[in-house]
Amino acid sequence: MIRYLARRAGHGLLMLFGVSILLFLLFQAAPGDFLSEMKMNSQISPETITMLRAQYGLDQPLPERYWRWLKSSARGDFGYSFAYNTPASTLLWPRARNTLLLSVPALLISWLIAVPLGVLAAGWKGRWADRLFSGGTSALLALPDVLIALLALLVALKTGMFPVGGMTSINAQDQGTWAWLRDLGWHMVLPVAALVVGSLTIILRHVRASVIEVLESSYMRAAEGHGLPRFKLLFGYALPAAANPLISLFGLSVAMLLSVSLLIEVVMSWPGIGPLLLESILARDLFVVIGAVMLSTVFLIAGNLLGDVLLYAFDPRIRRQA
Amino acid sequence: MALQGATLFVAAALLPVFATAQTATQTATQTAAQEDLFRTTSEAGIRGGKLVIAQRSEPRTLNPVIAIDQNALGINARLQADLIHINRATQKTEPALARSWTVSKDGTVFTLKLRRGLRFSDGQPFDADDVLFSFQMYLDEKVHSSQRDLMIISGKAVKVEKLDAFTVRFTFPSPYSAAERVFDGLAILPRHLLEKDYQEGKIGQAWTLSTPPEKIAGLGAFRLKQVVPGDRVVLERNPYYWKVDGKGQRLPYLDELTFIVVPTQDAQVIRFQAGDSQIISSLSADNYATLEAEEKTRHFKMYDAGPGLEYNFLMFNLNSDTEGRLPEVARKQKWFRDVRFREAVSAAIDRASIIRLVYRNRAAALATHVSPGNKGWFDSSIAVPAHSVSHARDLLRAAGFSWKGDNTLIDSTGQPVEFTILVGSSNTQRAQIATLVQNDLKAVGISAHVVPMEIRSATDRVLNTHDYDAIVMGLVSGDADPTPDMNVLVSSGQTHLWHLGEKAPATPWEAELDELMQKQLVTLNYQQRKKIYDRVQEVLAQQLPMVYLASPDILVGAQENLGNFHPAIIEQYTFWNAEELFWHPPAGKK
Repeated sequence: MIRYLARRAGHGLLMLFGVSILLFLLFQAAPGDFLSEMKMNSQISPETITMLRAQYGLDQPLPERYWRWLKSSARGDFGYSFAYNTPASTLLWPRARNTLLLSVPALLISWLIAVPLGVLAAGWKGRWADRLFSGGTSALLALPDVLIALLALLVALKTGMFPVGGMTSINAQDQGTWAWLRDLGWHMVLPVAALVVGSLTIILRHVRASVIEVLESSYMRAAEGHGLPRFKLLFGYALPAAANPLISLFGLSVAMLLSVSLLIEVVMSWPGIGPLLLESILARDLFVVIGAVMLSTVFLIAGNLLGDVLLYAFDPRIRRQA
Repeated sequence: MALQGATLFVAAALLPVFATAQTATQTATQTAAQEDLFRTTSEAGIRGGKLVIAQRSEPRTLNPVIAIDQNALGINARLQADLIHINRATQKTEPALARSWTVSKDGTVFTLKLRRGLRFSDGQPFDADDVLFSFQMYLDEKVHSSQRDLMIISGKAVKVEKLDAFTVRFTFPSPYSAAERVFDGLAILPRHLLEKDYQEGKIGQAWTLSTPPEKIAGLGAFRLKQVVPGDRVVLERNPYYWKVDGKGQRLPYLDELTFIVVPTQDAQVIRFQAGDSQIISSLSADNYATLEAEEKTRHFKMYDAGPGLEYNFLMFNLNSDTEGRLPEVARKQKWFRDVRFREAVSAAIDRASIIRLVYRNRAAALATHVSPGNKGWFDSSIAVPAHSVSHARDLLRAAGFSWKGDNTLIDSTGQPVEFTILVGSSNTQRAQIATLVQNDLKAVGISAHVVPMEIRSATDRVLNTHDYDAIVMGLVSGDADPTPDMNVLVSSGQTHLWHLGEKAPATPWEAELDELMQKQLVTLNYQQRKKIYDRVQEVLAQQLPMVYLASPDILVGAQENLGNFHPAIIEQYTFWNAEELFWHPPAGKK
């Protein structure tokens, strides 16, 4: 188990290095840097810009800049934000927490809904309920995530039932911890709902497909022939047999949710990684972008690692390999 | 020239001191007898309440020495104060921390009398040493303050001396017509809080968003209460603020001023509709129309403050370093360099439809970069070029162009006239302008292709690689005064965008512009200066280094019961007078 996990974590670490090198190269290729906007500002002289370039180390060759970044990451700073004049980590941590606050509940809710619904749909294969289900998920899949978020905002604005963005109300803090928590939860409803709607369909369709595949196998037919109750057949036998690809999907769904989450955060003004990443890309605030992407990669690797652990626990074949 | 704000303030001894029951203002009112306060002339309001304003992103820093982003400038201007301030409504200077000042005959020496008895928002007293300390930081090369460049005139820095505890002398190396305006936005910072950081060479890292609020103080109307990263910045009333209203009541009226982060304009509109924020600015004409339709039902009032200082234009690449390196661009530059070609393009463009279709008639057509909103400097005698395809054709014919059977314009060598127009993809309005221009040019047989591009990449082409044919872009003048335009208009200027890096003026008219702009810089008399600047506008209208198109109106809105709301066309459009804003008693809702 330990060896298996260590190998997986090692892969993850290698991936982080790869991603960071790729990011540096991509940024190098992108035209303009953080200081190019200042060039358009008629108040700032070229001498000032040259001095700032040296101060930020932007005049150094790429390997040197990468090495400096590695050293700073080892200290836990993850580079320096040109725009904010602080270590990138101080910007990233509070926002990462806010992003997780959205994605973790959304992840759990998505799976809690998708698994039973997908299994039932598989059981109803070919009947009208299944067709309705397939049509519905196809339609949802076609909806862009931005549109879902905007629709949610529109509903909130028209009905006045939910806040139209932000994380807490202006006065929430003055009213004690419980009121603050309730306010926070109230603000979470729409973004989490939008995230669930955005990610649910893919999971649903996967669950349905894998369960159907299992249902068509000969041992399931045999079980059916023995007269096992339908419910027990679906959830007691078909689902565990179909679990293997689904658990792998779990890791992937973390990545999917994160990318949708970044977008929904921007639309719904949720103070997570999303708005920061967008701002930093536009401002070419190199290390904040790299930090934010690395953080997303870490979440992704963590999700996959969790998937691996679950797989290890569920699938004896993997245990034997390891 | 001696300027005094005598009509705007009265001596402190005459002031009836307004005492409130609040403990926070106790210390302030006790010392008020010796305080040299500024008395405002606007409507006296009522204390209390909160105001929420949405911004695209949070301020990157709270340090005025290094701040350059608009969000930081807007918040810092509430936390800090300057010596001489530009009143956004009149576009003229007025006394701030300097109660009055005198200028030497040759216009180089400014002697400023400071207000006495003032306190920073942490209760510490203010005097000339704080002024000296602040300017020491701004002028220090090692600090890399962008403000420094404002105070370097022809390579030499302004000299700052303390004459006594409340008198400071500024000596400029040469006469400087915009000197008074330079003081606007230069925050006077508390020496007692920042001296240690400065001495240790760490001033650049001081006053970040994670600095505890009690470590940050200023002379502005508000002081910092709380920062929630990525979400909001909360300011509270500064009990020591140095302005009072006509009734002697100390400003500001609002208890709290909160800036929330709402990354997109559409989301900002929704937050404003929902009442989460009570002021909205920089609206597109479309969003403005949407909100205007809801004025009655949702109890807000929308304002069109008239054309602002942003000017949008079509610019041709006139750089001279393209020869050999970029043969395709160099080939087309033979057309671009002919003023008749530029004039023909200008005549072919229908500015009226740009105004109508892109801005829903909420913009002004332009002949030069000076918008009609710039009250003191706009030359109304220069007409906006009329839309005339036949005139454009005459000009092109005279320049040696002709047309093939299918109305394709060809140059004297028989090459069809074809070029690309770059445009920043994130600005919808400019992308629409580029498309309209492309259409208009078709009528004279020019085949232009619009290429939307991420704004930084486009800027990189304009500033560094010079690999472009033409671009639709916009610039915003920093101030109504002509001086900030120096860098665009003077041939050696760093934002002389159409032809960068000129060692000497490339054309006679650029030489004339250089001379005129240098002359206005040292001419102190407004009438004479205006005459010089009128000539600058005339040259620009004739030579069209940029084909000036339109200045959009500043479109804003606020809850209808917000008092003293007077939107301006210089930043910050809606809350430049935040200390005077107040809530009328609820007739409707708040």
